[in-house]
Amino acid sequence: MNQPDFGTGQKKLEIYVFGVISCVILTVIAFGAVMSKWFSIHETFIIIFAAACIQFLVQVLCFLRLNTKTEQARTNVMSILFTLVILVTIVIGSLWIMWNLNYYMMH
Amino acid sequence: MHSVATVDHHHEHHHDTDATDVFGFWLYIMTDCILFGTLFAAFLVLNYQGMTPIGLKNYIDLQDVLLETFFLLASNFTFCLAFLSLHKKKLFNTGVWLAITFLLGASFVVLEIREFIHIANEGFRWDFNGQASSFFTLVGTHGFHVSCGLLWILITIIQLPFLKSSTNILERRMTYLGLFWNFLDIVWIFVFTVVYLMGAL
Repeated sequence: MNQPDFGTGQKKLEIYVFGVISCVILTVIAFGAVMSKWFSIHETFIIIFAAACIQFLVQVLCFLRLNTKTEQARTNVMSILFTLVILVTIVIGSLWIMWNLNYYMMH
Repeated sequence: MHSVATVDHHHEHHHDTDATDVFGFWLYIMTDCILFGTLFAAFLVLNYQGMTPIGLKNYIDLQDVLLETFFLLASNFTFCLAFLSLHKKKLFNTGVWLAITFLLGASFVVLEIREFIHIANEGFRWDFNGQASSFFTLVGTHGFHVSCGLLWILITIIQLPFLKSSTNILERRMTYLGLFWNFLDIVWIFVFTVVYLMGAL
């Protein structure tokens, strides 16, 4: 019964169903906010990014099944956290530098 | 007694190397994340400051993108179902679910290629300006990954009958494929948010 899960958690149908339903709802919210044009650009921006971040968490928890139950699962969590730090540095750093350059070119 | 102990030991050892292999694959996925991160950074830099007047906005059809998103999400779910049937040792069902996953993924790729051809015909070609290049590189890299995943699913389906007796190997290979396929869906969340939804605002 105790199958090797390689740190990816036990497979349960209920978790997958919950994951796929919440992902569909979040996707519809994000597309609906943009396509209906009910909100101002600023509000829509916040809605789509909130939806994306929540959907990221749902996918990571329900499909990738990140957890801290076993040693290997904890190593996976550490490596994804490290990757997130690098990603934030690359993306925010690039935008910051380029916006600054743009600003000084214009003024 | 002695032989049982060796067999146990051997099995344990095998399991350990499997775990290391899966961790190695996980690290590959993490580096792939960084590849996509750099492409996102390039896309954002080229699209959102001192913009050129002709942007992506006029060429986006959000309904197609929504359809692509659902195809990818559904294929993700059917892959999970394939994994569940593998756990119940129903290899035939695994094959059927994998075939459905393949069809859904293939529909995604076909829609994306159609969209690329449409956009390019409208005049927004990849050699048009920096925005167009970064768009086609980012979305194209994701599409290429999905196509590789499709090939991989096909190979797994072909392997199923041959690996009937060795579920350990099958389990490990399906774990790789599952991580890869889930990862592609996670990247797609950010592609449709940053490229399409923000582009259409």
